[in-house]
Order: sequence, then C-alpha cells, then structure tokens
Amino acid sequence: MAIFTTLTNANSAVPLILLLILNLLTPLASSLSSDSVVSELSALQSQSSTGVIHLTDPLLRRILSLPTPRPFHFLLFFDAQSLHSKAELSLPTLKSEFALVSSSFYTNNPDQKGLIFFFEIEFQESQSSFALFGVNSLPHIRLFPPSATDLKKDSIPMDASDFSRLAESMAEFIESRSRLSVGPVHRPPIVSKKQIAFIAIAILIWTPFFLKKLIAGNTVLHDKNIWMAGAIFVYFFSVSGAMFNIIRKMPMFLLDRNDPSKLVFFYQGSGMQLGAEGFAVGFLYTIVGLLLAFVTHVLIRVKNRTVQRVTMIIVLLVSFLAVKQVVFLDNWKTGYGIHAYWPSSWQ
Amino acid sequence: MVAKTEKSAVDLLKSPGMTSLFKSLKLKTKQQELLIRVTILFLVYVLAFITRLFSVLRYESMIHEFDPYFNYRVTQFLTQKGFYEFWNWFDSESWYPLGRIVGGTLFPGLMVTAYLIYRTLQFLRFAIHIREVCVLTAPFFASNTTLVAYFFGKELWDSGAGLVAAVLIAICPGYISRSVAGSYDNEGVAIFALLLTFYLFVKAVNTGSLAFALASAFGYFYMVSAWGGYVFIINLIPLYVMVLLITGRYSMRLYVAYNCTYILGMLLAMQIRFVGFQHVQSGEHMAAMGVFFLMQVFYFLDWVKHLLNDPKLFHTFLRITVTCAVGLGAIALGVGTASGYISPWTGRFYSLLDPTYAKDHIPIIASVSEHQPTAWSSFMFDFHILLFLFPAGLYFCFKRLSDATIFIVMYGLTSMYFAGVMVRLILVATPAVCLISAIAVSATIKNLTQLVRAKSKASHSASGKGTISKASSKGSLDQSLPFQRNGAIALLLGAFFLLSRYAIHCTWVTSEAYSSPSIVLAARGAHGNRVIFDDYREAYFWLRQNTPPDAKVMSWWDYGYQITAMGNRTVIVDNNTWNNTHIATVGRAMSSYEDEAYDIMRSLDVDYVLVVFGGVTGYSSDDINKFLWMVRIGGGVFPVIKEPDYLVNGEYRVDKGAAPKMLNCLMYKLSYYRFGEVTTEYGKPPGSQILYLLGMGLSPASTSAYISMVVVKLIFIKNQIWTKS
Repeated sequence: MAIFTTLTNANSAVPLILLLILNLLTPLASSLSSDSVVSELSALQSQSSTGVIHLTDPLLRRILSLPTPRPFHFLLFFDAQSLHSKAELSLPTLKSEFALVSSSFYTNNPDQKGLIFFFEIEFQESQSSFALFGVNSLPHIRLFPPSATDLKKDSIPMDASDFSRLAESMAEFIESRSRLSVGPVHRPPIVSKKQIAFIAIAILIWTPFFLKKLIAGNTVLHDKNIWMAGAIFVYFFSVSGAMFNIIRKMPMFLLDRNDPSKLVFFYQGSGMQLGAEGFAVGFLYTIVGLLLAFVTHVLIRVKNRTVQRVTMIIVLLVSFLAVKQVVFLDNWKTGYGIHAYWPSSWQ
Repeated sequence: MVAKTEKSAVDLLKSPGMTSLFKSLKLKTKQQELLIRVTILFLVYVLAFITRLFSVLRYESMIHEFDPYFNYRVTQFLTQKGFYEFWNWFDSESWYPLGRIVGGTLFPGLMVTAYLIYRTLQFLRFAIHIREVCVLTAPFFASNTTLVAYFFGKELWDSGAGLVAAVLIAICPGYISRSVAGSYDNEGVAIFALLLTFYLFVKAVNTGSLAFALASAFGYFYMVSAWGGYVFIINLIPLYVMVLLITGRYSMRLYVAYNCTYILGMLLAMQIRFVGFQHVQSGEHMAAMGVFFLMQVFYFLDWVKHLLNDPKLFHTFLRITVTCAVGLGAIALGVGTASGYISPWTGRFYSLLDPTYAKDHIPIIASVSEHQPTAWSSFMFDFHILLFLFPAGLYFCFKRLSDATIFIVMYGLTSMYFAGVMVRLILVATPAVCLISAIAVSATIKNLTQLVRAKSKASHSASGKGTISKASSKGSLDQSLPFQRNGAIALLLGAFFLLSRYAIHCTWVTSEAYSSPSIVLAARGAHGNRVIFDDYREAYFWLRQNTPPDAKVMSWWDYGYQITAMGNRTVIVDNNTWNNTHIATVGRAMSSYEDEAYDIMRSLDVDYVLVVFGGVTGYSSDDINKFLWMVRIGGGVFPVIKEPDYLVNGEYRVDKGAAPKMLNCLMYKLSYYRFGEVTTEYGKPPGSQILYLLGMGLSPASTSAYISMVVVKLIFIKNQIWTKS
C-alpha cells in the first residue's frame, strides 16, 4: 500500500493555470487536426521501448487542444525523480509496473495502438501541468476518457486499491473504465533467455563432475551437518508461519490505529499473524533445540567445571523462559484459558 | 481424567512401587517388562478412544460437519442396497441437472470399512444402528493408530520411544481435530492407513523382508481406497529412496522393499475406480516411477560391477549407462507430457509446491477454510510442547542415523512444510511430530533414569535441561558429581510436569475446541449456561417436511451434502467441488441483480434457495461472510462478475455504505430481507439464529420476478414460531 505524500514546491500555481487556460482556449481556433497529433504520438510511442511516452508541457497542450471526443484514451503517470528515494512511496516500482501494463497492452492488442496512450510526466520539468491537474500528492495515476474536457472533473484518478496489486490491478482498472482489454500482463522473466541458456550449460558441464563426486561419496550431500542445518531451517520456516506471511503478504508489523507512533508487533486473534511475530515465536521454538545442540557439542569441551555449571543453569533458565513465553503468548493470542478438569469433589 | 490416565501410564513405566509388586509375584524381569508394556498399551488404546467421546458427551451421537454427511448417506445406501448397487450408483439428487456418478468419484475405503464393522457386529448379534458405527469409526481407528505408532516407534528407536509415541499420538490435538466421535471422514481411517504403510515400509527396508513389503503394499492399497492424501505416500517414499541412493545407502533390502511395494501397490491402487490409471498417467505419480527405473539401473550397475572387476572399465560403463538412463527418462517424460498421455500436476498438488499459486489461480481451493496457510498459533494449539521436543528429537535422530531415522526425519520435515502451507495438513504431520518428539522424550528420560538408578557409577555427566536434557554419555570426564542424582530427579520431575501440561492442554482442547459438530452450535448464555442452537438441522427437517419431494434447492456448495443427507432434497451444487463451472453459475446467481439471478435460477430449475444468515446472533460463518468467495469463484468463470464492484475502496462492507451492486445483489437481498422486522422484535425472543429459506414461486406467471420469488419462511427456531409471508 502506497503512502501519499504532499508535494512541496508547487507554489506558483495560480498564474500558471491562468496562462494555461488561455493557452488551452486559443489553439482551438487553429486547426490542429487530430490525425497529426495521433501520428506524432504513435511515432513517439514506437520510439519508446515500453510504449510509455514522456509527456512535456507543449505536447500536453497540443493533446488538450484536440476537439473532444478525442480519438483515444490516455493514462498519465505522475512521476517525481526527487521522490524516488522515498521507499514508502514505491514510485520506481509503480513506474515500472506502469510501463509493464503499457508494453503488455501493445503486444496483446497491436491493432488498437491508437486507442490508448500511456504517458509519464516529470514533476521537476512540468510543475505547471501538475498544478493544472490539481495533483499534489503522489503516487498518482489518472485516466482521461476521450470526452474529458475538464481535466480535474472528467478524468478518473486511480485509487490506491487499483495499483495495490501492481500491474494486474492497473490493467483491471483500465478494463473497467475504458472498455479496452489489456489482456495478460507479460512480466519479463526473472532470468532472461540468455541467462537460462548459460545456467543450463553450466549445469550440464557441472553434472558429470558432480556425479563423479557423488559416487565417490564426497559431496555436501554426504555431510550430516548440512542436512541438520537444512532440517532446522525447514522446521523454523514452518512453525514460524513464514508460509502464512508469504501467501497472505503480511507486513512485519502494523501501526497502532490509536497512536500512530506506536508499532504493533503482536496481533491478537488466532487466525492471523504478523511477520515479526511469527519469526519471534519461531525463534523461541528453535532456540530450545539449538541450546541442546550447544550444550551437547560445545559445552562439554569446556574444561572449567564452574563455567559448565553456570552455562548449564543459564541454558536451563532460557529454555524454561522460552517455553513459558510461548505458552503465555499463545494463550493471549487465542484468548483461551486452558485449564485442567479436576473431579468436582476436589473443589 | 485423561490427564490422570496419561500420567499413570507414564508413572507405571517408572514407578518403583509397581516393580516391587511384580517382584513379589515372582515374574522374571522380562515378563514384568512385557506385562507393563502391554498394560500401558491397553490403557493408551482405551484412552485414545474415550478422549474422542467428548463430542458425544457434550452434544449427542451425531455426524459432524459437512463431508461426513455425504459419507454417512453413502454408507446408508451401501448397507441398504449392497456393494454392487453402491459401486454403480448414479446419484441424481446432487449436481442437478448433471448428477454424479458416486461409485466412480469417491474413495470407498471409509464406507466399506464402516459397512464391514456393521456387518460384523450384526453377525455377532449386536443390534446397532449404522449411525453409531459411523460415529465411532474414527475413534476406533485412532485407537488402532496408537498401536501402529507404538510399533513404529519401536522400529525407529526402542520400545520406550514406541510407548511414548503411542501416548502422545493418542491425545495429540492435531489428530483429534479430525477423529472425534462423529467426524466420519476419510481422514479418520486414512491416518491409520498412512502410518501403517510407512511403518511396514520402514520395517521392510530394515529387514529386507518380502512379507513386510507385501503388507506395506496392502497398507498402501487401503490408504488409496480411503483418502486422496495417498499422493503424499507415493511421493515421500520415492523421495526417501532417492535420498538413500544419493547418500550411498543403497542396499538389497531397499531394492526388495521398494520394488515390491511400488509394483504391487500400484496394481492394487488401480482397482480403485476413482484413481484408475493415474499411477501411470499423472504427473504426480511420475516421481515414483522414475525412482523405480533408477533402482533397476542401480541394481544393473551393481551386477555389472560384480562381473567386471575392473574399476576403470566400470567407470566408463557407469558414465554411459547413467547418461543414457537419465536421458531416456527425460525424453520419455517430455514425450509423455507433450502428447498428453501424462497429465500435468493438478492445482491442489501444485499449490503445495508453490503456495501462492492457489490464491492467484484457483479460488475454489483457496476459498476452503482448511486450505488456509497456518499461523504459528495453530501449530502451538495443535502440538503444544511437541513443537519444542521436535528439534530435540531431530537432533537425536541425526545422532543415530539409520535408514529408519532418515525416513522419519524426512517424513517429519516434508509434512511440517506442508502443514505450514495448509492448515488441514497438520493432520498428516501429527504422527511424525509425535514419533520424533517421542524419541526425544524417551531418550531423555532413559538417560535421566539411568542416572537416578546408577548408584555412583559416575560414567555420566549430570547435565540436562528441561524436557530434553542432554545427559549424554559422550566425552564426559567426571569422576563423581555430588548433585548428579538430585539434579536428575529434579529434571525428571520437570519433564513429567511438562508432559502433564501437555495432557491438560490436549484434554481441554479436545473438550472445548474440537468436539463441536459445527452443525449444532453452542454458546454461553448470559448466566454462564450453555445455549444450543440447532437451527441447521431444524431447517433441513423443515425442508424435508414442507417441500415437494422433487424440489431443487440452490445454496452455496457448503450446505449441499447436508441438504441431501438431512433434507433429502435435490441440490444444485455440493461439497464435492468437481465442476467449477456449475459452482460458478451458482456464485453468479448469488451475486447478480435479482432479475438476472431469476433467469439463471429458472434455467437451473431451482425451486428453493437456502441462505444462511447469522446477522441476528452474530454467527460469523454465514453466507454474507462467504460472499466474496462466491463473487471470486463466479467471476473466475463469468467475467461479468467483478470483485471490485462489490467493494468500497477495496473494503468489504455490508452496511449502508456498501457498494450499490452489493446492496442489490441476490445474496444481500435474501440475507437482509425483512431484517428490520426481525430486529424490532428482537427484544422478546433472545438470541436466535435465523435461516432464511426463500422459495421461488413454481409458476413464473407473475409479472415481477421478485414478487414471485419471495415466499420467505423465517424460522425462529428458539420459539418454534414459523412465519410465512
């Protein structure tokens, strides 16, 4: 979920708007045919590898000068280089996802190229346009239907929920608002074809050597400790509910609703968990087993008897506290008061 | 009581008083040991059975949940009509208008088992109703599982570990959740079959005995006949064999065990119609076949090595053979998949390997509550201290690595991973967790008691901790430790304390959380008294009494089995979710506007619609809560249904601010129909659950679809007021 932030240096907005409105009104008279603009846009689009056109103020003016209904929809991504470093806005991610939607649309619908255009606009160079659209927070994406005359009223802003699932939800947004079907989003594979080929060759070369070693019985696979570490990892991974976190995409912690400065690490309610919570408890589970290994493997090598005993007591104490803490947390989380059933005559 | 029994079982093992008693009976030590062991096993056997009777005590002898109702209905059919009728049964009462070939689409193991038990009891002149047999099948098999666990533990470690494993598994909540009395479901017998197959296979690997391999194949056959989870066996065993091969533990015993089990098990499994030729045709079973051929290659190589006696020549030969074999296998798999002879993996299987798959692609799998990923608290709830003992047990297993312990480690880890992916698979992990923890408990207690008993032999270091104390005899240099004995006693007491906490936890969980039949709801009244809501059954009986016998009832698929079993009416969809399109049609009808929904329902010949609404009592698993899944599943097939239309800013609301589509869809209209009137009268009848049954007018003559549809029966179960508008 993106967090909206306010842009700071949009101070000279009012006169510029006037200027722009004037600009908007005047060229209507001059006969700029829509064909020339569309062909220009198409040219720009084919130059760009993803199909996203960098929008400048003059270009925007020309587009807006076209008589409505325009022959195309357009989608505008408001970008600000200066805010790319802010991780919570995740602008770079959204920008690349936006480009992904664009390229997917053009590959899926080559015959509909002129029906929708994807633009991105940079805050530093086009502050006036930002003001024109009344955009003062990012991330912001807007769809302009062909009939849109009033930039603020007739255009449709994309809600946070529409880009929460990245390119897929953006595509759904476009489909639901413009009746243009984007089709499946083509994500570039994590490893490119060349890399796959390289890896395949490397594996092929490596396999005979590995087999030779395997038969000789001297690979990492024959090392008991590797298996043991793997076993502990699988155990930790499972009991900490890491799978839950991955599938549900749970955050590590939440902000307290009543007091935003506080962080909530533990969620009360049995069917849910937060990331940090799971790892903390998984760690408590695992530490008991790890301490056992420590005691039986390392501690017995220590010569000093007192050190041995003190460590032993500490280990005992830590294990005891870990068990107690987990049981306490579980009771708190599920809200169950677990108790024994004694014969009624005993009470 | 359970806690006491469990404690006494452990106490028996150790208590010196008992030993002296036996001494006076002049039994030899071995006989004494045997007697104690048998007694403990017997007590555990009884314990496993009676702890599962909480549900009968708290409610009544009844079938629970959803799927068991289908199993019960089929078993009834089986006892009335006989096996062949059952085998060829075409059920026209479900999946209207498609119907369902029951004999070919179910795992018959459970029904046949119950049927055989029933026949045996009849033969012994016990006049018992089939329902009681069905109710008690799961506890009976749970008891049998404890015996298998004992033998398995004995095979893995020693008889002490076996006993502890039997005790642990008898009361482990992870298993009890699926095997309480009344939970007449496949899993009840399947866990027994699963553990039995594994035990016999490990035994076969350990001994190389053909007899055990054969028995294992039959165990596998029983498992295949009982539960779809057999896929776990057919993948775990090859994986295990593979690991043994890689780590250089290939042996003749392994060869005999695997080949016999695989070939016979496969042939036997093909006799189950639902499984059919999947063993040679489906991608999920290909690993087993690949390993089978690999075994032959290994054996062949061994033989050639034996003949050649020339290492250099052999290595050349080896290289060629291995390359050829792997190449051929890959080509065969590729050709098979490409030609469609080998079917690709099913969604359920795939979603285990890539857990995010189901959520994105198959809503019908992701929607089931037991398919949700597991949060840590569920693990704690189902395993309690076993979770802490598990790593310790793993550690002991690694320290004494053998073919058997490698198996249990692999079983434990894979099932643990799967349990993390899906809540219901905790069930599969339970036996492994119990066995591994039992090894930890047994090894620790054994070491500690040795310390306590050894007068001052001083060959052990007295360090140990908590439950899993170390007390290892490894590399200790101590001559005499003054507190050794006291320390050991203290640790023993600590261990017993923890075990008794486990017993208390299990008893409480069984009694309070896992014994609810979920068809009858219980709540605490204002004065601490228990209030029972029996609305579901009343509604189904209402259907049975008041609707024409050929009426078709549409409801969300959750209630399909119950309607057919209890209401005896034809349903459109039920819990056997074999036809996604049909379910999506129902989902679409529920999430469409009334006039559109009316057309869809007319096309399906629907006479009644059943909607569960918990708004009055705050019952949270009603249809409004499940509604988003109807939208998702409907939208998966019919893109006109879009999830965002039902949400407000990505939020699901059912109040005034809900999305307009939401407010006007059929489900919402039905759920809140005349809701205002109900709440105004709410002051008088306290806490009642409402089921709205909406019947469609049988004559579509009336002009407005809605008017003809609203023949709503409100059922106030609590006060037995039946209003009809």
